[in-house]
Amino acid sequence: MSTVKGKQTSSKKKGLNLLSALRRDRSLYLLALPGVLFFLIFKYIPMWGIIIAFQDYSPFRGIQGSEWVGLQHFTALFGNPDFALLFRNTLAISLLNLILFFPFPILISLGLNELRSVAYKRLIQTIIYMPHFLSWVIIAGLTLLLFAKGTGLVNELFTLWGWPRVDILTNPDSFWIMVTLQAMWKEAGWGTIVFLAAMASVDTQLYEAARMDGAGRLRQIWHITLPAIRSVIIVLLILRLGDIMEVGFEQIFLMYNGAVSEVAEVFDTYVYRTGIEQGDFSYSTAVGLFKSVIGLVLVVVANRLVKRMGQEGVY
Amino acid sequence: MQKVEKRNTRNLAWIISVVMVMSVVLSACGSKEEGQVSGSSGNADDPLEVSIMTITPSAVPAADDNVIKRAIEEATNSKMNIQWVSNNIYGDKLNLTLASGDIPDLIMINDPFGSTFTKMVKQGAFWDITPYIKDYTNLSGGIPDIAWDTTKAADGNNYGIPRPRPVTGDSFFIIRKDWLDRLNLQVPETTDELFNVMEAFVEQDPDGNGTKDTTALAAYISPDDLGWGGNLGPVLGAIENSFIGTNSSWKWDESQGKLIYRELLPEVKESLQYLTKAYSRGMMPEDLLSLKLTQARELFKRNQAGIIVDKTGTMRKIYADDLKKVDPSFKYTDFYPLTNLNGYNPKGSGYNGILAIPASVPEEKMKRILQLVDTWMNPEVFEIQQFGIEGTHYEVVDGKKVASSEKLTADNASDFNHIVNVIDLPWDTTGETDEETQANELFKKVEAERDKTSVADLAAGLQSETGQKVLPELNKKIQDLKAKIILGREPIEAWDAFVETLRNDPNFQAMSDEMTEAYKKRNGQ
Repeated sequence: MSTVKGKQTSSKKKGLNLLSALRRDRSLYLLALPGVLFFLIFKYIPMWGIIIAFQDYSPFRGIQGSEWVGLQHFTALFGNPDFALLFRNTLAISLLNLILFFPFPILISLGLNELRSVAYKRLIQTIIYMPHFLSWVIIAGLTLLLFAKGTGLVNELFTLWGWPRVDILTNPDSFWIMVTLQAMWKEAGWGTIVFLAAMASVDTQLYEAARMDGAGRLRQIWHITLPAIRSVIIVLLILRLGDIMEVGFEQIFLMYNGAVSEVAEVFDTYVYRTGIEQGDFSYSTAVGLFKSVIGLVLVVVANRLVKRMGQEGVY
Repeated sequence: MQKVEKRNTRNLAWIISVVMVMSVVLSACGSKEEGQVSGSSGNADDPLEVSIMTITPSAVPAADDNVIKRAIEEATNSKMNIQWVSNNIYGDKLNLTLASGDIPDLIMINDPFGSTFTKMVKQGAFWDITPYIKDYTNLSGGIPDIAWDTTKAADGNNYGIPRPRPVTGDSFFIIRKDWLDRLNLQVPETTDELFNVMEAFVEQDPDGNGTKDTTALAAYISPDDLGWGGNLGPVLGAIENSFIGTNSSWKWDESQGKLIYRELLPEVKESLQYLTKAYSRGMMPEDLLSLKLTQARELFKRNQAGIIVDKTGTMRKIYADDLKKVDPSFKYTDFYPLTNLNGYNPKGSGYNGILAIPASVPEEKMKRILQLVDTWMNPEVFEIQQFGIEGTHYEVVDGKKVASSEKLTADNASDFNHIVNVIDLPWDTTGETDEETQANELFKKVEAERDKTSVADLAAGLQSETGQKVLPELNKKIQDLKAKIILGREPIEAWDAFVETLRNDPNFQAMSDEMTEAYKKRNGQ
């Protein structure tokens, strides 16, 4: 009895604490309010829209008037002969991103971190940030200008040197690696920001001490820099896993063509085609929902694993 | 001192947060209000407030206070709130608008047989205007019957006003006449002759610059063109259609007494072999699959390709002016639109999209909208977008209106054709030079010649429920496979295998049966 009573009072106390905390920091909470409202209005309320994945949604009848069909759209998706293909392509592009793209900014940051000349470092940073600000439309256009088989600059050069022309844009064998390299070129520089910031916060005394003990550059990177940014790497990796079913719609859509369709069709482009182009709103919502659920599960599982290994997770 | 400062920062925080909250709340409300305004209809004498969505061909659409818009509004007693959407994204924008349920009072449906629109029509989301047409003289008399017929929904009713277009103006081959003349070639009349011309355009230096740097056909294959010209899109589809002898997806087979889907026809395989051969010999751009419509047009404009597929009348507006910059000797009459190939040329369906009115619009307002379009079609109103405003866009010389096409273009005059267009008025009668007059005469001659052999789509307007479900995916597969065969990635045998699986597909058979039934029903069999 007494323990229960104790709990009640403590929870009451907590409530009081919250109220008084609210009152005390009211301006801070007010500052947070727009953000909270933003997420409520533009992220959480629209989430109700996913219920059309369980309906035969008609815009004319609205959500209230549309017929409920249960899991029909999901069974249609899993029963679709193209499902395996979509899954394979999405996963392949994502994994390539994870294996090739993800470590790339870390490597660049480690290199940049070792540069002694600040001016030179800044210059390089500025140059490698730039592609991030170009839209995918421009990048796709550049790729076309450079690598088109008929008129592309690279192929013109190859002919000049007497080499055979290469086919990159319409070749199913090179599509995955091409989009990965594209993404790396565009985003790797931008990705270094977080890592460089983490590295900047490492205590310089650690390096000095290591140098005194006779550690070379590589030893310092291995034993000081990398452990220092480990938690940042892990957090970003977990967040990245949540996006594993999204491979960047714009990029794939722009590089897509008939000759590479069997390796280029991913969930994102499929949702666009069924939803926007064919007006099959419920079905494409179901596909999108399926995609998000996988992402959510991966994040939760990865977070658990990381915590079990004694690291700090995302939450 | 310190305390005062602290208070100041606190006040600032308050102000900032209040402003931010307000802006979020207000922006959330704003979008809702807009939708409600269009609902009011008001008195019969007040200007009709109407929201419209349609395509704009211009990079910068007409502004709300555009002079021509104002003049049309005054003449038709209306207040138009027009949403201009770029041609490139119209299909997507339309589907999104339909999905939102917040549909403009008059909306241009570019494909009246698209799945979203047909689904919504079945649910009663749009007005059936069939019983009202006869009350409006211009709607019933000014729009050709073929346009009304080919836009009828499955139940035989009209759910929108067709935007009429001439049936003789469909896209077909246009060949550089000066190139033909330079190489002493005849105008091709069969696909084999066309092949020889294309070969000459690649091999014999038609532009006379001493290097072998030309291609023949400004072709491209785009996923946006699914269902267009046998899924290969307008350009390569035109070649395929010439083999089959129709631009329809269906062909009537007398011996079996049913409609046959075009892909099962042996002519499709022949045309694929033809195209594969043409591609391997450089008669079309090597990057066929990565090119977009505008890039393919560039090839022609830059004097690098000798053949395009487009509407006859587009030559002057889209290509010739640019071409003259590269090749100053080029004349407006230096193009030869083919009148037929293998004895075939396509007959248009007589319309380009329909204007539909959502059922949420009350009957009285719906009638006023029909009245608006009807009044707009009166010559004195339509002339506003044709000639503009006296003193600003045109002067009357010897009793004839002479307009400045530059000023008309600057004021987006012809954009309004994408809402209401009258087809029997001559297209361009403004300030013509001799060269332009000759070009127009040639163009009229070509159209008259085409009229003799043109073939209409016999299945236009026919629908099958199964087809609506399976065709989008099927069309995509067909395009991908055809593209791969043309590029030489797949052997022609892959096509035979595909056709065989198609034949045995129960969905495909159901679609064929439904189409045959619909066809028989319409033809009273």
